[in-house]
Amino acid sequence: MNSAEDFVVLIRDEIGLPVTRADLELGFDQVPGWDSLHMLRLVTVLERETGRTISFPDVLQAQSLGSLYRLAVPA
Amino acid sequence: MTDTELATTAQDTLGRLNREGRLTAEYHLVQGLLHEVPDELLPRFGQLLARLDVDEVLAHHPAQPVVRIAITGHGTLAALVPALTAELARHGLLLRPQLADFDSYVFDLTDPDSELYRFAPDLALCLLDPFVVLDELPVPWSPADAERVLAAKVALVDRLATSFEQAGGKTLVVNTLPLLRETTAQLVADRSRAQLAAVWHEAAARLLRLGERHPGLLVVDLDPILADGVPARDPRMSVYAKAHLSPQLLAGYAREVGAVAREVAGRTRKCLLLDLDGTLWGGILGDDGAEGIEVADGYRGEAFHRFQQVVKQLGSQGVLLAAVSKNDLEPVRQVLREHPDMVLREEDFVRVIANWQPKHDNIKALAQALNLGTDSFVFVDDSPYECGLVRRELPEVAVVQLGQDPAQHVGAVLRDGWFAVRELTGEDRGRTVKYREELARQDFLTSFSSIEDYLRELRIEVRLGTVTAEQIARVSQLTLRTNQFNLTTTRLQAADVSRLAGSPDHLVLAIQAADRFGDNGLVGAVFYRREGDTGYLDNFLLSCRVFSRGIEGACLAAVLRHARDSGVRAVEAGYRPTAKNAKVKAFYPRNGFVEIADRDADAAVAAERDGVTVFRHELTEIAETPANLRLTENFEGMRP
Repeated sequence: MNSAEDFVVLIRDEIGLPVTRADLELGFDQVPGWDSLHMLRLVTVLERETGRTISFPDVLQAQSLGSLYRLAVPA
Repeated sequence: MTDTELATTAQDTLGRLNREGRLTAEYHLVQGLLHEVPDELLPRFGQLLARLDVDEVLAHHPAQPVVRIAITGHGTLAALVPALTAELARHGLLLRPQLADFDSYVFDLTDPDSELYRFAPDLALCLLDPFVVLDELPVPWSPADAERVLAAKVALVDRLATSFEQAGGKTLVVNTLPLLRETTAQLVADRSRAQLAAVWHEAAARLLRLGERHPGLLVVDLDPILADGVPARDPRMSVYAKAHLSPQLLAGYAREVGAVAREVAGRTRKCLLLDLDGTLWGGILGDDGAEGIEVADGYRGEAFHRFQQVVKQLGSQGVLLAAVSKNDLEPVRQVLREHPDMVLREEDFVRVIANWQPKHDNIKALAQALNLGTDSFVFVDDSPYECGLVRRELPEVAVVQLGQDPAQHVGAVLRDGWFAVRELTGEDRGRTVKYREELARQDFLTSFSSIEDYLRELRIEVRLGTVTAEQIARVSQLTLRTNQFNLTTTRLQAADVSRLAGSPDHLVLAIQAADRFGDNGLVGAVFYRREGDTGYLDNFLLSCRVFSRGIEGACLAAVLRHARDSGVRAVEAGYRPTAKNAKVKAFYPRNGFVEIADRDADAAVAAERDGVTVFRHELTEIAETPANLRLTENFEGMRP
């Protein structure tokens, strides 16, 4: 996974949510179809894709998909 | 095509359907595709399928069977929904889940007015994890503390199962609690660890035994899933998200539940079709000869030997075995009769088919000869070509494609619990013999000019009598397994049959049959009920082995005579159409019933809603017992 675009595709293919780039910086409560329980699944997938361990306490405090992406792929 | 190419195709197809938003419209393709997807990718597709709207899927596919599952338990359970969705979809079942609030299982199962009971689930899952116990241990703790808490939890599950039964619940599934190394290793003394393990496993054994006292309770043992090498938990998910069991363990648990769902939906598979070369033995009989095939000797021979033993084990429990092989028949027969190392013999198979016809044609012919639907077959072959062809021609047949290594055959065949039943009955153990007798009857039939001559020569004896305690399990099994001659397709667990048999207003009758070829056993059941001066036939079932011999008509007439003699003025009966029971649509009208047209509005609406056609018999003219059979009635000890 190399870009935010890849991240969007990953969410669409693995979670089934029809998100776009524009949704990444929305609060989770505004992402169509988002459920906090998708977070656990998404973290598992991100760790698999990046080969990195992501900090759970940080993940659980993330406010948007974008901040989750930045935790998984630090700049 | 190699295995990998096939699998890539299936997962790509599913991915494409998802991206194009067509999973709902193309849901009928999902079951077949999921069988070609490797297990490690199932969670992904479970996630995608779990997002579909159940009602929209049903709008596109009205005949799609649905299983309602209520999920409650300890901790965060949401990850179970995608896992269950995928496993049920593999069985051709659509999950309608109801997820309980966090940690509400005691309330859900105790309060008869809870959302769980109002949902009226086919299955209720109460998912337990080790933290049910660990959260209640004092700090510091000893094995004696664990023993005390474990005893309390087993008693709790016992009480919950009782509440569940009293609230009219059908099937409740609980599970054993994995013992974590993170728990045992907190005890530094070897002796203490052994004590802890002892009290923990004793509690697990008591939990497993609760099923003996609660007919509606099923206890899933998680240890065999863990023994296959999946982690019990992910500490981060457990600590931070209270999801105490690992996704992999939940996937294994969901697989077990999938088999239970298949069973409660009445879709247990009945017949295992086995290829021979590369499946039951190594090598090619036609090329290598009987001496050259690998049956027991050598590394691969041992693996095939072990696989044959497992197949025989399945056959001994009522799974019909048939061989379907591209071979000449005579050499195959010779191996089955004479090869010194074969575990499986000719008599273990209900039929041995060895010819050069396409396998799907052989399978269709076999289904007809056995009077079974092809959707009750599981087909096992090591050839991707044969598997692909059967999948394409007969998508309703479950296809298990074996790999090249025979050591993996056992796991592949047992993976999905195809043949799961609640408990075995005497019928199961003798099933192969009965079906073989049936095939002999058909050969006998072809020697007569008319069906009447044949039936007369068959010397059928029918016994119709009040169900006995020993027959309850078999009658329940008939309601669960019978799809064709099943007028309302009401599925009943043993506890339901017991309840009806014990009710003063109901009459549960068992039909037993025998003829010159042997004993057919308990082949049918009649559910009758009386209210005032009207009798009601709630259901009428007959095993597909014995259709069209006059048995059904004779038994129906006997029940009508009984109704008339006990003062009933008319008998009403319903037919609820399903995908499988069209052949009995005319059963009641052919036997003197008339469809009721002028019903009162409420009753008409209710019948319409249930899709039931209601018929009425005025009891003025009741058919005689057909001359070709002898009927013995035993309505003793019954009032209705």
